[in-house]
Amino acid sequence: MIGAEAATALYAYAAVGPAGAALEGDLPVGLELIGDDEIAIVVERVSLDEFAEESLRENLNDRQWLESKARRHEEAVQALLGKTTVIPLRFGSIHHDRDAVGAFLDERRSEFRQALTSLQNRVELGVKAWLVERPAADTAAPAPTTGREYLNARRRARDDATQASGRRAEILAAVHERLLSLSEAGVLNGPQPPELSGRDEVMLMNAAYLVRIGDDRLAAEVGRLSVDEIQFELTGPWVPYNFVERVS
Amino acid sequence: MSTVAASRPSLQEEVTLVELVDRVLNKGVVLTGDVTLAVADVDLVYVGLRLLLSSVSTLERGAEDAA
Repeated sequence: MIGAEAATALYAYAAVGPAGAALEGDLPVGLELIGDDEIAIVVERVSLDEFAEESLRENLNDRQWLESKARRHEEAVQALLGKTTVIPLRFGSIHHDRDAVGAFLDERRSEFRQALTSLQNRVELGVKAWLVERPAADTAAPAPTTGREYLNARRRARDDATQASGRRAEILAAVHERLLSLSEAGVLNGPQPPELSGRDEVMLMNAAYLVRIGDDRLAAEVGRLSVDEIQFELTGPWVPYNFVERVS
Repeated sequence: MSTVAASRPSLQEEVTLVELVDRVLNKGVVLTGDVTLAVADVDLVYVGLRLLLSSVSTLERGAEDAA
């Protein structure tokens, strides 16, 4: 019975470079490097009980499982931030064994090399904008007494809302332009639903920007941004998750 | 020293689920090819995410109904 030995695989978290012995010492417990001094893949041995296709299907439906594995993935790549250049791989990159990881690295080496050069000394900063509802101030308006008044009031409310939303869109577009000018690249992602954000406020903007390590201009600008009903939030620094897709 | 660093939610001890979805699950280099097991099939993650979203909203609705 050699079952215990066979029932594992390698979860690949990231491609990093330069790698080598010095970096090995910086790895969180349980992680290892496969590759060479130029580029290596950061892997962790995982159980096929959890990650084989059948089990995975079930586990992905388990919010706690998914969240804990995603958190582990995030911790693994963040631990290397600032120590080398990190190209994060997407969640759930599972390989049979070291040879398979090596083959994968060789196959993608030129893409990784290019990405490592362009992402060297860069980090990602996240910027989110939230709509902070203020209590409605129009309680002074007299209650409509006729159908016509009611319809007019409805129309005014709708026009006001459309105007406010248009104004906010303009503000956010200007903010994005400004932040792009203070960064090397930026992307606008779709706002996340409240179920995921855990906040009651509506998310208006969900952006990420690529900046040089030590360049605080964008962070400082976000700190200065202030618009009555829009609250800005800065997150990070992150490894450049949003700026590696062109690699693939 | 730097007020900027102080005002920033410096590397969060607890990264929120939304950040995990934004980054770990939605971004990053996608692997394809025979070297990976079938489990690396990206669609599976999306299936999981859809269920995750619906299960979370179901939970929330349940909480609201109970309130």
